[in-house]
Amino acid sequence: MSTNIDHIKEEHHHQPSGLMRWITTTNHKDIGSLYLWFSLLMFFIGGFMALIIRAELFQPGLQLVVPGFFNQMTTMHALIMIFGALMPAFVGLANWQLPMMIGAPDMALPRLNNWSFWILPFAFTMLLSTLFFESGGPAAGWTLYPPLSLQGGNSMPFVIFSLHLLGASSILGAINVIATILNMRAPGMTLMKMPIFVWTWLITAFLLIAAMPVLAGAITMLLTDRFYGTSFFTAAGGGDPVLFQHIFWFFGHPEVYILILPAFGIISTIIPAFSRKKLFGYDSMVYATASIALLSFIVWAHHMFTVGMPLAGEIFFMFTTMLIAVPTGVKVFNWVATMWRGSMTFETPMLFSLAFIILFTIGGFSGLMLAITPADFQYHDTYFVVAHFHYVLVPGAIFAVIAAVYYWLPKWTGKMYNETLGKVHFWMTTVFVNITFFPMHFVGLAGMPRRIPDYAVQFTDFNMIASIGAFGFGLSQLLFVYILFQTLRQPVTAADKSWEGAEGLEWTLPSPAPYHSFDTPPKVD
Amino acid sequence: MKSVKSTITKLSLVVVAMYGFSYALVPIYDTFCEITGLNGKTNEVAYTGSDIEKENRFIKIKFISNVANSAPLYFEPAVTEMTVQVGKPYNTHYVMKNNSTKQLHTTASPSVTPGKFAEYFKKIECFCFNQQTIDSGEVKDLGIQFVVDNDLPTNIGDIVLSYTMFDITNKVVEADKL
Repeated sequence: MSTNIDHIKEEHHHQPSGLMRWITTTNHKDIGSLYLWFSLLMFFIGGFMALIIRAELFQPGLQLVVPGFFNQMTTMHALIMIFGALMPAFVGLANWQLPMMIGAPDMALPRLNNWSFWILPFAFTMLLSTLFFESGGPAAGWTLYPPLSLQGGNSMPFVIFSLHLLGASSILGAINVIATILNMRAPGMTLMKMPIFVWTWLITAFLLIAAMPVLAGAITMLLTDRFYGTSFFTAAGGGDPVLFQHIFWFFGHPEVYILILPAFGIISTIIPAFSRKKLFGYDSMVYATASIALLSFIVWAHHMFTVGMPLAGEIFFMFTTMLIAVPTGVKVFNWVATMWRGSMTFETPMLFSLAFIILFTIGGFSGLMLAITPADFQYHDTYFVVAHFHYVLVPGAIFAVIAAVYYWLPKWTGKMYNETLGKVHFWMTTVFVNITFFPMHFVGLAGMPRRIPDYAVQFTDFNMIASIGAFGFGLSQLLFVYILFQTLRQPVTAADKSWEGAEGLEWTLPSPAPYHSFDTPPKVD
Repeated sequence: MKSVKSTITKLSLVVVAMYGFSYALVPIYDTFCEITGLNGKTNEVAYTGSDIEKENRFIKIKFISNVANSAPLYFEPAVTEMTVQVGKPYNTHYVMKNNSTKQLHTTASPSVTPGKFAEYFKKIECFCFNQQTIDSGEVKDLGIQFVVDNDLPTNIGDIVLSYTMFDITNKVVEADKL
């Protein structure tokens, strides 16, 4: 009888092996792994481009690359890091974690899930192929502002089609996430009992389906302006280039919260685990996340204070932007209050989370400075802006992804990483990230513009420091890859509940987690 | 799974609606700028309203010009400054010369600074309402007739009227082929 059941089970779980397993898989864990590996690959490609930029900026004058290629590097670095490294990393984490956290067997739409991933390699092949064109890749900045982007080389339609594909992939992924969370929770898990990571992803998914179609619309208008004679943004036909900036940033500001809200969820999961206390102010965390998401739709023009807006507009966007500091402050307060009088230990995921809180807050403060309209006229398009958004995205979003990988790696693989090496990785990364990006504040305030291959000699020292830091940061990430592969070669030793203070349904499953998470839904009290 | 289906349907509608919204932003933006007079957008059709009563008030209008994308055109105002009486119609013109060896089609895009006074600058006639065709080497006078509305606030300095001339020959030729 039992052999019979085993046999049936085996058939039920039958799957192709080798490459076809990965191409045809509809399993949320397989797809999660694909997303995460893809994201790691893109992180290194985008990072390599960043190092080309930093190598050129090591000293003033033109040494390594021509200015045109330099502009292609800044544009591609941004597109690849945002759409190739960060967004797929968060979708990968969502795929792995959401079904396990809400007690579901898999995602709600497994075939769609397979599609959303397999669109990505095609989109990035198309995007990266433009670098081999005679006219080169896109060089107008990732924001694709007209008229410059309309005057570029042949890469433009390729970039726009690949962005369409990436947008389609994100929208499909977001629909899947919402359908899963709203319909497949274990009995008893009400919305306000969901793990905070699930909440942040639910809100992020709503941002994605609201914002990505707007980007699709904006770039479609660019495309028809260039090739089909429309005049949305061409002044010659009565269009207005500033309109593009409005539409772009109507997408663009929700987009930057798409990149950070899941990170908030990760940090809100890890801090309680290593403080051995419940998350302080769970409800306020949920409401803060929702208010940040809503506010993100009415602050877009703070990216364009210098285009010549009327005073009333400048003031409106200045104050709404500053308002975002309130829910964000609630979050930082809650994290600190969670740690207050907790029995804290400092394993690698916790170290990355602590660094996140401090360094993300630095990025938040420089954001507040940029929100002050009169001050922004000084900071606009300088390295101060570069310092600001790298502080929120590198020791912000990327640190959260790294922390999440260390935290859930034993659950995914059943194997424990080398804690000493993890700590070495943390300290190297944290020291070098600050050496890279902190001096950019100074050169920015002193007036060094962004997106230039050459600069005035008085900026040399700080640029040299930043370049040294960038190479150190890049090399430190090779250690991360080494740690990952070393972990995969270990025998299975991790406990089901790999961390003493960890909470959540995923830790009730064996390590490594079985191929199908919960065949029968668990009961949540 | 019925509820999953209804979730997907609703979310797909949101996606379609937001895509439509991105296009809706174009007329919304234009209307918003027109109502508030932001962005220096001047009226794109001729002023045909009733005569405006003259007022014993004078204001300085400055004329400037630009040629977009280094098109082979000479384009300058005939006079760069006029002191005009509020409510009284005036005539002036810009001069354009085609420095290329072929016939060109052009169009001009107007703008008034400070933007919020654009609504008081009424154009009765303007070359910017039409496109121009100019032969190689030809010199053309491009006329404007305008009047400054007597609703114009008193706390105002000079008004600057700017035209940017675009070479749209490629677009016109392509459209003719179709």
